[in-house]
Amino acid sequence: MLSIETRALTKNFSVPEKDPGLWGSVKSLFNRRWRQVRAVDSVSIKIEEGELVGFLGANGAGKTTTLKMLSGLLTPTSGEAVVLGHVPWKRKSAFQRRFSLVMGQRTQLWWEIPALETFRLNQVIYGLSDADYKKNLGELVDLLELQDCLSVPVKKLSLGQRMRAELAAALLHKPALLLLDEPTLGLDVVMQQKVRAFIKEYNKRNKATILLTSHNMDDVVELCPRVIVIELGRLLYDGPLAQLVSRYADHKIIRAVFDREVKAADLAHLGTVVEDGGLKAVLQVPRGQVSARAAKLLQGFPVVDLTIDEVPIDDIVRRIFTHK
Amino acid sequence: MIRKYWTAYAISLQETLQRRSSLLMDRVGGVAIIVSLYYFWKALLGTKPSFLGYSGEQMLSYVLVMNILRSFVFTGRGWQLVGEISSGRISSYLVRPISYHGYTLALDLAQKTVHLAAAFLEVGVLIAAIGARVYLPHSLSTWLLFSVSVAVSSLLFFFMEFMVSSLAFWTSESGGPLFCFELGLQFAAGTFFPLDVLPHSLQKALAMTPFPYMVFFPINIYLERMAPAEAVKILGIQAVWLAFFVWAATAVWKLGLSNYSAEGG
Amino acid sequence: MIRRYWRIWIQMAQMSLQAQLAYPLGSFGFLIGKLMRLFFFFAFVIAIFRHTDTMAGYSLLDMAVFFLTFNLVDMTAQIFFRGIYGARRAVSDGDFDFYLIQPCSPLFRMAFTTVDFLDVATILPVLLMIGIVFARLPAGLGLGRYALYTLLTFNGIGIAMAIHIFVAGLAVRTQELENTIWIYRDIMFMGKFPVDIYGGAARWVLTLVIPIAVMVTFPAKALLGILSPAWTVYALALCAVFLAASLGFWLDSVKRYTSSSS
Repeated sequence: MLSIETRALTKNFSVPEKDPGLWGSVKSLFNRRWRQVRAVDSVSIKIEEGELVGFLGANGAGKTTTLKMLSGLLTPTSGEAVVLGHVPWKRKSAFQRRFSLVMGQRTQLWWEIPALETFRLNQVIYGLSDADYKKNLGELVDLLELQDCLSVPVKKLSLGQRMRAELAAALLHKPALLLLDEPTLGLDVVMQQKVRAFIKEYNKRNKATILLTSHNMDDVVELCPRVIVIELGRLLYDGPLAQLVSRYADHKIIRAVFDREVKAADLAHLGTVVEDGGLKAVLQVPRGQVSARAAKLLQGFPVVDLTIDEVPIDDIVRRIFTHK
Repeated sequence: MIRKYWTAYAISLQETLQRRSSLLMDRVGGVAIIVSLYYFWKALLGTKPSFLGYSGEQMLSYVLVMNILRSFVFTGRGWQLVGEISSGRISSYLVRPISYHGYTLALDLAQKTVHLAAAFLEVGVLIAAIGARVYLPHSLSTWLLFSVSVAVSSLLFFFMEFMVSSLAFWTSESGGPLFCFELGLQFAAGTFFPLDVLPHSLQKALAMTPFPYMVFFPINIYLERMAPAEAVKILGIQAVWLAFFVWAATAVWKLGLSNYSAEGG
Repeated sequence: MIRRYWRIWIQMAQMSLQAQLAYPLGSFGFLIGKLMRLFFFFAFVIAIFRHTDTMAGYSLLDMAVFFLTFNLVDMTAQIFFRGIYGARRAVSDGDFDFYLIQPCSPLFRMAFTTVDFLDVATILPVLLMIGIVFARLPAGLGLGRYALYTLLTFNGIGIAMAIHIFVAGLAVRTQELENTIWIYRDIMFMGKFPVDIYGGAARWVLTLVIPIAVMVTFPAKALLGILSPAWTVYALALCAVFLAASLGFWLDSVKRYTSSSS
């Protein structure tokens, strides 16, 4: 069964424009100009129940806007979406009881008082029976190791503790769909590992669909068999993480070891020399010409060893994030 | 040296203008208060030629001039300071080669500039709309004395508020005390009504505090209800209070800072 | 449904109290400040009446009824609709996003779930003073007058609620009208006196456009027996219209909501 389906989802925003300087401020006091910006441009995706999907793109690519439309916070300018069988922006409570949105920089926990109070509030908001509440809370507290954090005011918790409490608050009602926006933002390496392990476990245990955005490569590589890449609001790639490389990288890497020194300049006509250590060289070669160039290399140079590799996935993902 | 404060002033001026709705809201609120006080006194005066020794014109002018004074005198940076102390952002200023007092004073001046302009506009509109007559001082020396006393009371308020806000170094939440302080001050200064309304004993007691010197006496100078010699005496007392509060605010600030750094923020 | 909302309200009220107690000094300071304001103002009115017997035809006792009715309506609105004061922050900090994705009316959460217990403490002296003033009113006003007073007071609170809903809608729509509610508070200042003191145009504005007169002056006038039945009907109808209009505005604002960036 499909968990998420969108068709040509599009969202425009109006942003105010101001000329620089004091005079600009005075002018905009009386006459403000607006500019239309297309944040999400005709995005169509389908996600099956129980999938764990990574949603990638540079800052401002439109990831968060898409997540907000899927959770019903924003009404799209045009296009359609069906999430868990509902149109999200109608905000039906039958829909809201079955999903959750966690934003790494935001918190729904009350700052001055213990997290347990916010959990109780969510219990009454989601209408959970005492028995369900106790059972779910117990499970989450175990999985997230929250035992010591429940009765301390939230402002006294560390960032990692707060993020885990945040997850618990969002998952008390056992949502079938979880939208995660930067869940590991600002956490240290150990804590990131814990949060990742938890996400994986939650997905497996509850057959929950999870769509997550992250700037943390390890999150993507470790968690997401499938990724969706978005750039300037447009869908760029949707498929297995493994194939992202062949789609995205227009070149491969040839590593060669020689039995005597070779000058970098002599190799330049075969590809871009990335590394050159006299007896070793690493070349970037356009995808279509790999075999021809490798043959030339073997014929023209004293090659002892030669390997052909794909560009590492880290590089690809990093390039997507930095938008090159 | 002066340039960085000038820049702070200019940037803050832009910021105030940029948040036009906030500015508008601030002003609308002020207008509501002067309109209601204006009509209150008008109703009270009824057909009486004078009340408490104020002629009708003087009494209504009290309300209008008070609006302009409020915009110029009562705009401090106390809430900003409280916020910055309790959030810990204050540290980022302390490491910069800029005096925090000077910096906030520059910001405050920007705020005063905008609000003063708005206050004049409002009073102008009000005069045009309801045909109010405003008392204008006859002699040039009154204008001079009035300007000086307003400038001094504005600084007086800045340092007083600064001192009260610095309490946040110890309590990390002096919003409450600041709120009480501002309320009490506005009443005791004569912002809502001329202090002559109060019983004599209370008036005498208030005269021992700095508060009446911030609004009540300056307006009385403006309305020429006191002899020039008396006005000069008022200026003298204002100056003494100002000196005291500059000293006190600086002392509390220093104490607070050392307390703050001792506890590691 | 109603039971669930009742439980949500109780839980949130309880959380507000805990949060307020987390800052005892600040909270206590605000409490003292509010009591001070009440006291100062009352002292001011009494001081004025040392120099005059009537004002716009009203005696000191009449003025006290007007002033206390103003406080009753104003403070009740502040106790129960406190959440509005944080509306813009709820929108800009993104808390409103959570209100929208959870199965509970976002208006309910935004407007009615922060309870200000400080104001409960400030309304007690007002109630006490109302008791004292009522005891001095001429005997034999009849139960009808008191009943009408109560009805119109609630009517006034209803109009206050509509205004609060409207302000919440503005916060959602524009994300920048930080001080809208403070305008309301400042304009409410005009309600401390009976609207009869205001000049022609201002009086009509306060009766028809920003109906502060209807909220606070009408109940007091009804008690003093100087409100016509026609104006009573007008007051009730106005409340209904205001509530309907503000609700419509709110729903439309939520539809246009653009969640704050990132």
